[in-house]
Amino acid sequence: MVNKDYQVSELVENAISGDKASLEQLVSLFHEDIYRTVYYRTRSRMDAEDLTQEIFMQMIKSLPGLKNTACFKPWLFRIALNRVRDFHRKKSILNFLGTTTDVEDAGHVGTETHSNPADKVMQKEFWKQFHQFTGTLSRWEREVFTLRFLDHLGIREIAEALKKNESTVKTHLYRALKKFRQNPELRDLLKGELS
Amino acid sequence: MKIQTIHLDEEQLIRSVVDENDLSADVRNHLSACPMCQGKKQQFERELDTLGHMAKIFAPSPRESVTYSEKPGFFEKVGFYPLLRPVLAALLIFGIILPPALLTISEEERMARLVEEMENDRQLMTEIRALEEDALPDFYQDISGEFYGYFDEEFVNFVAPMEETRIRPAGRFASSPD
Ligand SMILES: [Zn+2]
Repeated sequence: MVNKDYQVSELVENAISGDKASLEQLVSLFHEDIYRTVYYRTRSRMDAEDLTQEIFMQMIKSLPGLKNTACFKPWLFRIALNRVRDFHRKKSILNFLGTTTDVEDAGHVGTETHSNPADKVMQKEFWKQFHQFTGTLSRWEREVFTLRFLDHLGIREIAEALKKNESTVKTHLYRALKKFRQNPELRDLLKGELS
Repeated sequence: MKIQTIHLDEEQLIRSVVDENDLSADVRNHLSACPMCQGKKQQFERELDTLGHMAKIFAPSPRESVTYSEKPGFFEKVGFYPLLRPVLAALLIFGIILPPALLTISEEERMARLVEEMENDRQLMTEIRALEEDALPDFYQDISGEFYGYFDEEFVNFVAPMEETRIRPAGRFASSPD
């Protein structure tokens, strides 16, 4: 992890000083993570792909202004979360005006990641249970929980990405985990997968 | 070393997963010595690992990587006009005596150009994908009521005002990613 952090820092510094290869390496290193981060929050493959492209363009544009290269990862996630938030705001306007066909669906159906019917059923059930659970969380609880266990950020990185202090992040995480423990449907599904 | 004999309760178990260092020394000592409490904590963490793993495998992979395609080079663009080449050569010769500062590209410009290239590529991909999904030209989409145009920031802020809690880079980051 330390090596990876060091590698990222070095790539960031090289990219800032104009090395295109380092910039491309940096993008490819985080491309799938950022794409999934967006996908978890949009539930649409096409939107996730478009937004991911925009997020990296924003990253490249803003990179020369990044002062602390060690904070690159939470900084990048912050750009991503901002972009997702803007996307939802614009989408809510389209919904309000009744001019959008909603491509999002609660079960992430239509993403066709698995051809096996049993896997498809499992996939649908998983997302259904997951969204039922996150529906019980407050916005911050949901964001912190997702950043911690789906995006795999540490507490400090989450605090940096959300510009909150660490104890606030821990409080939201504690409340989210308490609700997770009180969700037998999702936990049974996960335990079934474990056994 | 004093070891608490009471097992971790639900609250302490959750706190141990959030950050074990936040537990009191007594509770931490108990946890490190009690196989039952360790087992409970590990089971809890395995459930959360499985959650992250399933989310990952049940999310589709991106179909494309971030676009970096290069634009055609200058001479490739003028390839159809060979007569222009002597003129270009003359311009280049005169260019040598220009102050070097005029010829160097700043880091910001380089980044801006890269972004512009990527934006052009992205727009092209968006148009292609839109055509895949709805091949009606704009004119007919207008008639069919499916085309809803572009909303600028002012309009967006008017209809859906920004929350106060909006995530905004600040502090040590000089440049705002917004
Ligand atoms: Zn115990």
